[in-house]
Amino acid sequence: MNIIVCIKQIMDPEIPTGKFKIDPEANRVIPSEGIPPVINPFDAQAIEVALRLKEANGANVTAITVGGQDVEDVVRYAISMGVDEGILVSDEAFKALNSFVTAFILSRAISRIGQYDLILCGRQAADRDAGHVGLMLGEMLNLPIITMAKAVTLSSDKFRVEHVITEGYQVYEVGMPALITISDEIGPPRRPSGWGVIAAAMGKEIPTWSAQDIGVNLSDVDIKSVRSETIRLFIPDSRRKGEVIQGNNVAEASANLMARLRADGII
Amino acid sequence: MVEFDAIIVGAGPAGCACAYTLAKQQLKVLLIERGKFAGSKNMWGGALYGPVLGDLSPEFLKEAPIERYVKRRILSLLSEESYFSLESAVNNESPDVPQDGAIILRAKFDRWFAEKARKAGAILANGVQVEDLLWKDGSIVGVKVGKDEIHGSVVVACDGVNSILAQKAGLKAELNPVGVKQGVKEVIKLPLETIEQRFNIQGNEGIAWEFLGKCTRGLPGGGFIYTNKDSLSVGVVVQLNALLENKVKANDLLEDFKRQPVVARLIDGGTLVEYSSHLIPTYGVSSTSRLFSDRFLITGDAAGLVLGTGLILEGANFAIASGIAAAKAIVRAKETGDFSAKALSHYQRLLEDNFVLKDFKTFKKMTHVLENPRLYSTYPDLVCSLWHKIHTNDGNPRKSVRQLLKEELKGRVSWWQLARDLIHMGGSL
Ligand SMILES: Cc1cc2nc3c(=O)[nH]c(=O)nc-3n(C[C@H](O)[C@H](O)[C@H](O)COP(=O)(O)OP(=O)(O)OC[C@H]3O[C@@H](n4cnc5c(N)ncnc54)[C@H](O)[C@@H]3O)c2cc1C
Repeated sequence: MNIIVCIKQIMDPEIPTGKFKIDPEANRVIPSEGIPPVINPFDAQAIEVALRLKEANGANVTAITVGGQDVEDVVRYAISMGVDEGILVSDEAFKALNSFVTAFILSRAISRIGQYDLILCGRQAADRDAGHVGLMLGEMLNLPIITMAKAVTLSSDKFRVEHVITEGYQVYEVGMPALITISDEIGPPRRPSGWGVIAAAMGKEIPTWSAQDIGVNLSDVDIKSVRSETIRLFIPDSRRKGEVIQGNNVAEASANLMARLRADGII
Repeated sequence: MVEFDAIIVGAGPAGCACAYTLAKQQLKVLLIERGKFAGSKNMWGGALYGPVLGDLSPEFLKEAPIERYVKRRILSLLSEESYFSLESAVNNESPDVPQDGAIILRAKFDRWFAEKARKAGAILANGVQVEDLLWKDGSIVGVKVGKDEIHGSVVVACDGVNSILAQKAGLKAELNPVGVKQGVKEVIKLPLETIEQRFNIQGNEGIAWEFLGKCTRGLPGGGFIYTNKDSLSVGVVVQLNALLENKVKANDLLEDFKRQPVVARLIDGGTLVEYSSHLIPTYGVSSTSRLFSDRFLITGDAAGLVLGTGLILEGANFAIASGIAAAKAIVRAKETGDFSAKALSHYQRLLEDNFVLKDFKTFKKMTHVLENPRLYSTYPDLVCSLWHKIHTNDGNPRKSVRQLLKEELKGRVSWWQLARDLIHMGGSL
């Protein structure tokens, strides 16, 4: 069985708010100095699912990412977790992409890989939380899609998928090949072992495919068909104000508080 | 089984320098760092002194992420009412030689340095914590990470002040608070122009400012401010045993320090972006310290190579120099295939021959002088008050300096004590 996991490098979500900056002109987040990016946590969970399937049934797992020149680390991270191969689809033109273009590039790269039985994606990237790429990619590759999986197992050539719904889950069965997006209910992904990290660092060079290699010319992609556009990116003003409401006793203070909340239109 | 020529534990200045030097010599090197990336857990004041980075490669002096170069140094004595400063400046127009100090933020610097080692051919493993040494037949053969065993001809402990590996190898005892200082620091962000204005600097000029007195409530230690490009490093460094004995938290002293009017003005309006705390091994290295054993070496903070004499707090330069020396000894050992203690003792000889251990001899007496508690309260108060009175005109006839000094000394310290302290201090220089 061949499994492909699509992974994305994102800005560390644990970055202190003081260091989070945006460029409102360009509608862009400015990468913060000194805090390196990390793997999207949902993608690490997708890798976890791939590795569990591999352990249970045997599989060859390939992690693939699209980005600029600086995203090799995320592929090495996947290898340190235990995936067999990594592919870096990297081109200066691939730096700031929207979901549609990313899915398009991935679909081309995955077509180049050719053989696959399962494609896994995180349910969304924890930076923009759009959750589009997996769905668009499934469409482009013409695959059955099951989203928000909390468990994936294989029985007689079919995947049994538990799909999360508001108050429980639904069980689906889907044949190969399929695309499944993984939700955080899967639980924490494994951390790379010491040897895993060392082996990944020592490992062979990671194949890098350029736009040309996968036959993508971004100017051919009709940007109008992209259907999503960032109109405005801003940091909401969240200044807090403190005020102590007085009163001679608790009852009076609570009455004052109520009056005040009403006056401010809060209740 | 993979066997490395050298396993270097810790990608601080010592580990990076060692790994870089070894990789350049084509040795098979593994550099292990527990932080998400090199530098992510590291902090200091601080400035790198001396030319040692250039010894590795002249390019490094140009490439390293240096915030600013120390143009002016200030030492201020703080009292309740005022402060008294000594200031020195280098006259060259744009200082860009690190002799005078290159102000650096570790998160950027260590990461850059580790990347240099990696590019030179070292295998860099981030996010991996070494838990123990790996022994076979009484001899060190590698390190343990979780269940994994990693083999190497020699292990270099560059794991910093509380070196687990040096302890496991039997070269160091557990840290004794008497020989250790605690440093706490905040990085406070301010617009670049504000920093240039407040400190009267421009371009790549920077300030190293040290404070003695009021800020440590009389405990042995001091405060510091370093100007980064668009932030300030503000912190205090205090003797750990004094903190423990007096049940004082270093963090409270930092808050005191930040409230000092002179400091408060400098940091006014800034945003706190980072807080960190770290120990500093200032117990000193003596001629009896042993920094090597069979297939094992200790460098930098792990070896206690920090000069904390009060006037000087330097460790990174010694860390780098010792990392280079360790690498040289390993390259020699590799040539003969002999990694025994005898062969590796070359490392300590190299340290004795270059500035590292010589500096420690030179400043040996200094540490005793620094134990004098009067340095941290009585004298700063006295100097500030005296200076203030000399310059105060309250309309009454002025007193002679001698008279003023006499009044100031009264109840604080005797003439005899003052003379003794001065002789002592002079003698230690
Ligand atoms: C507040 C303060 C101010 C200072 N100011 C100055 C100054 O102005 N100038 C100066 O020269 N020096 C200064 N120093 C001292 C200087 O920071 C140290 O001497 C220097 O960093 C020592 O380098 P090192 O490589 O030996 O150790 P460290 O820099 O401590 O590096 C050790 C590395 O090992 C890693 N590590 C530890 N244990 C393990 C493990 N088990 N497995 C894997 N990795 C591990 C750590 O994460 C770390 O990256 C200051 C120190 C402090 C605390």
